[in-house]
Amino acid sequence: MTHDEKPSRPQRSYPAVYEKLIPIALALIALATLAALGFAVAVATGFLP
Amino acid sequence: MTTVLTFLPFASSLISFVFAALVFRRYLARRRPYLLLWGIGMTMYGIGGFCEGYYGAFGWNPLTFRLWYLFGAMLVAAWLGQGTAYLLIRRRWVHGLMLVLAVASLYGAVRVFTAQLDPAAMGSSLHTGSELSGRAIVSGGVRTLTPFFNLYGTAFLVGGAVYSAWIFWRKRILLHRVIGNVLIATGALLPAFGGSFSRLGIGGALYISELLGAILLFLGFLRATTPLPQESAQK
Repeated sequence: MTHDEKPSRPQRSYPAVYEKLIPIALALIALATLAALGFAVAVATGFLP
Repeated sequence: MTTVLTFLPFASSLISFVFAALVFRRYLARRRPYLLLWGIGMTMYGIGGFCEGYYGAFGWNPLTFRLWYLFGAMLVAAWLGQGTAYLLIRRRWVHGLMLVLAVASLYGAVRVFTAQLDPAAMGSSLHTGSELSGRAIVSGGVRTLTPFFNLYGTAFLVGGAVYSAWIFWRKRILLHRVIGNVLIATGALLPAFGGSFSRLGIGGALYISELLGAILLFLGFLRATTPLPQESAQK
């Protein structure tokens, strides 16, 4: 067996549904956090009542 | 609507107290500081919900209002966030932050309990006054403190949960912790949004979001601390 033929370490992965959903959920949470912070700043500066 | 404004906060209060009891029991077994702080934070969440329900059922009471504002509006997020800080930051630094939070909380308590109140001020063109609102505090400089506590708490609670979920997801390990942290981050964000919608005059938004927030935080904690069946089988 040559070096190239060495079996590579098996790639770990989550079930397919989580592979798709988790990055979307994390991105949405990050966006929502920015929106909440933006709202807080808008209220604090008097831009919103 | 009145029934809803009484039932929802009492329900979130009950869930929070059950959650707090579970976390305190775990703390007694493991003695980890983050569990103690989350237990304290969820007790504050429960007190806040109870005071909102009390206002819906029996009307205005100055002591109930002060307890609600101190624990439910000012301190809850910061103390929950401090619990997460204990999971993420070096001991020496986090003890310093804890000291600052404790002193700031004492100062906040003194300011809230000595503030002048006017329940009529809770009603405005946007806010009906059917839900408790910090507008009832007439004295200056008290409500100004609250965003600092909430920003600190949200940064650690939501930021910490997202950071942990991201780290585990990147390594494709501990799926239960990824799911748990996503639920915790969402649960922590919901009351912040509810407060914003309530400020814009959407009735019931705050209490609904607090109830959903308590449920998601509880489910997130349970998920994060309980491995999935297939994960246990892999060990």
